[in-house]
Amino acid sequence: MILRSVCVLVAVATLAIPSAVVAGQNPQIPRAADGKPDLSGVWQAATTANWNLLPHAAEKDVPAGLGVVEGNEIPYNAAAAAQQRQNFANRAQADPETRCFLPGVPRIMYMPFPFQIFQTPGHIAMAFEYVHAVRRIFLNTPHPEGPIEWWMGDSRGRWEGDTLVVDVVHFTNQTWFDRTGNFHSEGLHVVERYTPIGPNHIHYEATIEDPNVFTRPWKISFPLYRRLEKGIRVLDYECYAFGLERTWYKPTE
Amino acid sequence: MRRAVIIAVALVTLGAPAAAQSIGRTPDGRPDLSGIWQAINTAGVNILPHHAEPDMPAGLGVVEGNEIPYNPSAAAKQRENYANRAKLDPVNKCFLPGVPRATYMGFPFQIVQTPNQVTILYEYAHTVRNVFMNSPHPKGPIEWWMGDSRGRWEGDTLVVDVVHFNDQTWFDRAGNHHSEALHVVERYTPIDRDHLSYEVTIEDPKVFTRSWKMSMPLYRRIDRNMQILEYECAAFEEAFNLAGPR
Amino acid sequence: MIRCRPFLPVLALGSLLAGAAVDAQQEAPAVPYTPPRTPDGQPDIQGIYNPVGTFYNIEDLEYQSLYQQFKPNPAMRGRSLIIDPPDGKIPFQPWAAEKRKPIYELHLDPPPDWVDPNAQCWPQGVPRHVNNREFEIFQPPGHVVIFNLAHHTYRVIPVDGSPHIPGNIKLWVGDSRGRWEGNTLVVDVTNNNDQTWFDVMASFHSDELRVTEHFTPVSRDRIEYRAVMTDPKVYTRPWTFAIHFNRNKEPGVEVWEEACVEANRKNIDLLERPGR
Repeated sequence: MILRSVCVLVAVATLAIPSAVVAGQNPQIPRAADGKPDLSGVWQAATTANWNLLPHAAEKDVPAGLGVVEGNEIPYNAAAAAQQRQNFANRAQADPETRCFLPGVPRIMYMPFPFQIFQTPGHIAMAFEYVHAVRRIFLNTPHPEGPIEWWMGDSRGRWEGDTLVVDVVHFTNQTWFDRTGNFHSEGLHVVERYTPIGPNHIHYEATIEDPNVFTRPWKISFPLYRRLEKGIRVLDYECYAFGLERTWYKPTE
Repeated sequence: MRRAVIIAVALVTLGAPAAAQSIGRTPDGRPDLSGIWQAINTAGVNILPHHAEPDMPAGLGVVEGNEIPYNPSAAAKQRENYANRAKLDPVNKCFLPGVPRATYMGFPFQIVQTPNQVTILYEYAHTVRNVFMNSPHPKGPIEWWMGDSRGRWEGDTLVVDVVHFNDQTWFDRAGNHHSEALHVVERYTPIDRDHLSYEVTIEDPKVFTRSWKMSMPLYRRIDRNMQILEYECAAFEEAFNLAGPR
Repeated sequence: MIRCRPFLPVLALGSLLAGAAVDAQQEAPAVPYTPPRTPDGQPDIQGIYNPVGTFYNIEDLEYQSLYQQFKPNPAMRGRSLIIDPPDGKIPFQPWAAEKRKPIYELHLDPPPDWVDPNAQCWPQGVPRHVNNREFEIFQPPGHVVIFNLAHHTYRVIPVDGSPHIPGNIKLWVGDSRGRWEGNTLVVDVTNNNDQTWFDVMASFHSDELRVTEHFTPVSRDRIEYRAVMTDPKVYTRPWTFAIHFNRNKEPGVEVWEEACVEANRKNIDLLERPGR
């Protein structure tokens, strides 16, 4: 009887207060052999952030969204704010997503496609359906020395209790955060926090810092949902190949 | 993982399934399905397995057996629908999506539950379904876009019987269709507090040679401050038309 | 226990291959190698590997000198990576051989339709996925995952007995399902689309291609690889391709990002063309 109530209490508590999960105390989270939460599996965000990080009404083929930015404001400096407005005006051509480029971090985390997390003690790998992007999060190792400009940055992780903290630097300035032209420079620094809330949800938080563009750091957060479909797997979305398929060697029927 | 298994075993031996215990219940003891839910899949594009196209992710399909048992003329009509889908898909004109397409359009929906009525409010085009509990369908013939829904509980499963459809809606963007004789039976079964198992049996003797099933999980939206917003499809169209051709 | 003898022809081939990019390689030991085990009981073949072979023209090693600093051994002239059929040529059906013939004349400066899809940053397909650049194998529970440096393509190979995905989904790297037979990983690859080539020379296949791979670790630092290609629409019979992989032993080495599409000017032009 007591055990049953405790289980319910734990379930309620973990859903209501993600930040209060006590390290190592949540029995519902699956764990790897080394005792760390096991994040393995196929996950997906359900938020509309890829269209617009900020709160937005619906448009044709664009669902409305409450936004994922804490405080509902992105603190651009004056010059950067003007650049963002220009990006927005030119977004149909200027958004790197229209050219099927790698979306960068954190945008890859909220593209509306599933991804698979593989976890070993030494590193965590994320294999994304969207343009088969890959993130390798090497644990407890230093960033290579810069200057380096990668589309997906360089990710180094460590565990703080039950939260995976990932530090990402070495970015290009070529990616956007969403389809409305929110952008950054190569000085971008992202710190992500992955905190499991129960076996089927991860609370995802990213702190974004870029002194060339923003007047202070700012945060986004949203849940990741484990995909529970039987036999779920990551398929492919080879964006840049659509409509370009070779036909000259197809067998005639 | 081992720890979780031991706890699960302990709970089972206490006499009640662990999952059922964590579901919220209404005062009359039924599972409480209230809240905001969403399908996270590509069934809205194509309920059968399909690979990716521009702006349309690949999907493993939601039809049991991966086959829709059309009779020959209906199969031909589906192929024609598919070839002309850019023009013919009824949601292009912002028409109501029908059942079960409304469930997996890719927008959230809210379930509001009372003992005599379960109302489903869909963000897409503010579609509404009232599921009247334990009461008979009105006499036909009636042709509604969203049909007439009558519900009852079988244990912890909400069973919804839907008839009185028109033949105007599709099951997805790929032209899978039905006639006005469509009969849909939905089963909503809680898996745990945050997930429902959604199973749909489709029957339409004018179009299919036998009944067939779709199934998918529904995910509770636990995003901060989550609420249903609006997708006023027809209003965008109006804006497009007023602005003139592009 | 897998015996080394069937692989002797490949070993001989491997040991004769010289090249600036290739390690000097030991002969496989006479005693069969037993790898350690991963926590979930798989033979542990994790690590970063370089394929020893050619991806310019799998039928003719001579062509590799066009692609990299590679000095072919004159004795190797015309030697193929294809060990079956014995003539080392892909057994194309006559219609397919006809379609492919012109590429031999044009391969140094092909028209757009005959540009190697890999050069357009499209995924490589199987087995080119492991015959291209450096790649990394790692084995989380229930899976073998291969990450290829070349434009970050990856393959997820469940070894948990799960079934293939439905047949009408076609994927660039196909759908892989693996099982361990002794210390050999056997992988069945179906659901391939028809858009990948095995090399630069337009060695194509249809979307009925099925590939069966064997990965056999013969020492800590070497994996023997064999792939059998079956495609009744394009070939007269199945054919077998064989190479080996050498472990990259550099301490602390990591596979890093290679962004291909983003830097490919040709791709950008194609994507911006009218009507897209």
